[in-house]
Amino acid sequence: MQRKSLLLAIVAVIVAIAIIAAAYVLLAAPKAKLQMELWYNSDGHYGDTEPQLATVLKNSLEKSSKVSVTLRSDPWAVYRQNWVNQRMPLFLLGWYPDYFDSDNYVSPFLSVSGAASLGSFYNNSQVDTWVTQEQSTTDPAARQTLFNQIQDKLAEDVPYIPLFSGNAQVAYLSNITGVFLHPVTFKWFIIDKPGAAELKGATTDKIISLDPASAYDFFSIEVINQVFDTLLVYDVKNATLLPGLATAVPTVANGGISANGQTYTYHLRTGVTFHDGTAFNSSVMKRAIDRAVRLDIAGSAAFLLYDVGGLGRSAANGNNTAPGVITTPDANTIVFNLNKPVAFFNDLMAFSAAAPVPWTYSQTGEQPSTVPNVVGTGPYRLTTHQADQLVVLDEYAGYFGTTLYAPAVSSIPKVPRVSIQILGSATNLKQSIETKTVDVAFRTLTPTDLTDLQNRATTLGLKVDIGASPQIRYLVFNVNLVPDVRVRRAIAYLVDRPLIDSQVFQGLVEPLYSMVPPNMPFAKAVFQTAYGNGNVAAADNILSGLGYAVQFRQHEIAREIG
Amino acid sequence: MARGTSLAAYALTRLLIAVPMLLTLLTFVFIILRILPGDPVLALWGGRPPPPPVIEAARAQLGLDQPPWVQYVSYLKNIFTGNFGTSFGEFYRGQSVWTVMMEKFPATVELTVGAMFVATVLGIVTGVLGGANRDKPIDVAMRLYGTIVWVIPIFWLGLIFQLIFGVWLHWLPPHSRWSGSDIPHPVTGLYTVDALLEGSFPKLVKAVSHLILPSLTLGIVLSGFFTKTVRANLLRTIDADYTEAARARGVSERRIVYKHAFKNALVPVVTILGLQFAILFAGAVLTETTFSWNGMGVLLYDSINSKDYMMIQGVIVFYATIIVIISLCIDILGALIDPRIRL
Repeated sequence: MQRKSLLLAIVAVIVAIAIIAAAYVLLAAPKAKLQMELWYNSDGHYGDTEPQLATVLKNSLEKSSKVSVTLRSDPWAVYRQNWVNQRMPLFLLGWYPDYFDSDNYVSPFLSVSGAASLGSFYNNSQVDTWVTQEQSTTDPAARQTLFNQIQDKLAEDVPYIPLFSGNAQVAYLSNITGVFLHPVTFKWFIIDKPGAAELKGATTDKIISLDPASAYDFFSIEVINQVFDTLLVYDVKNATLLPGLATAVPTVANGGISANGQTYTYHLRTGVTFHDGTAFNSSVMKRAIDRAVRLDIAGSAAFLLYDVGGLGRSAANGNNTAPGVITTPDANTIVFNLNKPVAFFNDLMAFSAAAPVPWTYSQTGEQPSTVPNVVGTGPYRLTTHQADQLVVLDEYAGYFGTTLYAPAVSSIPKVPRVSIQILGSATNLKQSIETKTVDVAFRTLTPTDLTDLQNRATTLGLKVDIGASPQIRYLVFNVNLVPDVRVRRAIAYLVDRPLIDSQVFQGLVEPLYSMVPPNMPFAKAVFQTAYGNGNVAAADNILSGLGYAVQFRQHEIAREIG
Repeated sequence: MARGTSLAAYALTRLLIAVPMLLTLLTFVFIILRILPGDPVLALWGGRPPPPPVIEAARAQLGLDQPPWVQYVSYLKNIFTGNFGTSFGEFYRGQSVWTVMMEKFPATVELTVGAMFVATVLGIVTGVLGGANRDKPIDVAMRLYGTIVWVIPIFWLGLIFQLIFGVWLHWLPPHSRWSGSDIPHPVTGLYTVDALLEGSFPKLVKAVSHLILPSLTLGIVLSGFFTKTVRANLLRTIDADYTEAARARGVSERRIVYKHAFKNALVPVVTILGLQFAILFAGAVLTETTFSWNGMGVLLYDSINSKDYMMIQGVIVFYATIIVIISLCIDILGALIDPRIRL
């Protein structure tokens, strides 16, 4: 009996030891691979290359044997909802700036409200303060310091990983001159086809609305820029602001901007008329801005005026700007009194949302984008608009600014008529220029087609220009779903930009190392110095520290042994 | 009962059946669109979202803050008063659904009529050639043709045609309804008809030349079905008693096939021709996308991508109504031809 009890006790002890040993082994065992979901858009919002981009990214992250990436995708309307509802830990996005100040590459991403809107939910009150400070000062030295601090923090906290700057492209027949890939807006009115009455263009971009109070997409704004003018315009070759409907660019030095940066005064040109013959003056300008703010059309950029731009929106004043915010001391002067200093207000006054419209424009809703309802002061009049198919622009004989860009461009517009065909696919766009059905194929050719056209340019009698685009592409971390900054840093080490450039874009994009692209002021390539590209050893080092290890599945081990 | 009364009662019954059918379809579409994930309001701003209050204000502006049943009742009320509503999708926001559809519909009509013409001619020719030469090599070739073209992906065939006839040979425009700014003055929206109304022969030629490749693409794919149907019907009629009787009377085989059997074989083909319009509309979506043909197919494709509820509902109801009307006409035609149908 005693012997039996002893045996039982021994067995019990052995079982207990076995359980403890097993528990120890299990608990102390290294963690499985880092599992990461990488999301991308599936219905072409960023072009046909998106699945390939996601695959190359996955491969680049999985170069660390401690990382396993699952690709997931959704169409845009669902994708957009996913990021609001915080379903995507890591996802691909793109950004095309609204105004050409470095702030537009920082505040939408790193301010607390901006980060929540863009899906990273990054919340750093110190960065938020720096953003507010850089927005409020026009002093370049002060802004440089603030932007340096912001970008350093971006690299430290990694709520986003900048990937690359997009490219702008245009293919055109050899006899076409004056084609220039402008960093902000492609100016059709400076393109010349000597001796021709019509310049034929094509693109795959759609026109959503030609009402400046509504348009907030690339090609609608593009057409608006040919038909309408703004107080300030961009130089033909770069993003320097020039006087447009205003006679001078306001600065602190010329008294156009108050010392506190809250009052902007514009003196307007005289003798400017709209295409319908009515006169442009300060009252018309004020009414146009108030209209955009009041209507606040769904999907429009009105919030850039009343929210970002500091004009405000007064419910007590019928949702217009509050009394006294915009004043018109005389017919040729307009003054904006902002509710906060806005360093880039001049850039906003060069944006299509601030383009003046005639008195007759609908004050209760969107103006139809049809002929003859689209009326601006610009070099071209809209004479035909077949929705999603064709837009025809004819020279406006009464245009005030024929020498606006002289001496760089002697007079505009160069060709009396521009017709732009809107196509359904990049393949059709390539066919158009290959068969010379059009003179200019703009913007939306695929990397493969571009390379092909470049290689055959001489045979086909074409020129292909590729330039920098203000568009940036980047990865977003939802910091609520990936809270450990060390994991985000490990992923940042693994991203391989040159690989993306060569395998997806055939060398046509520029690697990006900050959210502020290198052609903008105050840019600092913080990700290049902090992380580089495809640094597997550094990533593995972090992940090992976090307990992640290579884990083989049984069948993988069996395969190796077998 | 007099023949006229009987036919009218039959037509009325068919029409009444169509109403609950459309209502069911409409309800299903309404529910499915709202169950599926995705938010059309969020999609409006692309990748540049405004502050949340702006989004909520837009939701209220578009009536999407109302409970679904309120939206449903309001939608039904509007549809039955002929109001298809206003789009709130990314591409057509703020525009009347009916106006947009009427802009696009002529393009689809031109394409479907062109494709139906190609499909009918090719289908009948190949079907008759096969049926009249049963089990001979030419019959095998025609049967093979019918099978192969029926399974060819439309976009692939379209791309091949574009490459050969548009890019390499430069015989025909590779895509689009028109190129350049000299579009015929819009009266009907059908460029061929508008060119005729304008009295411009060059414009008519231009419109037809743009129509050829998309019509061929869609028509060839659909012709496979006609090939098989015509062949099968022709074989049935060739073996029928009355053709045997004709043979017994010494009528030549050629005359039997092409004069007697062929005509009778075509009767069921005419009936299915109408029903093929449903398949044709579906095929038009791919053809239009491949050829930048700015019609209802592209409209539906874009609307689905942007979750434009109003536009999707509008296009589906519009298509369904057309199919119902075509079916109704065929039924009535069938009843007129064959009184047994309405018994």
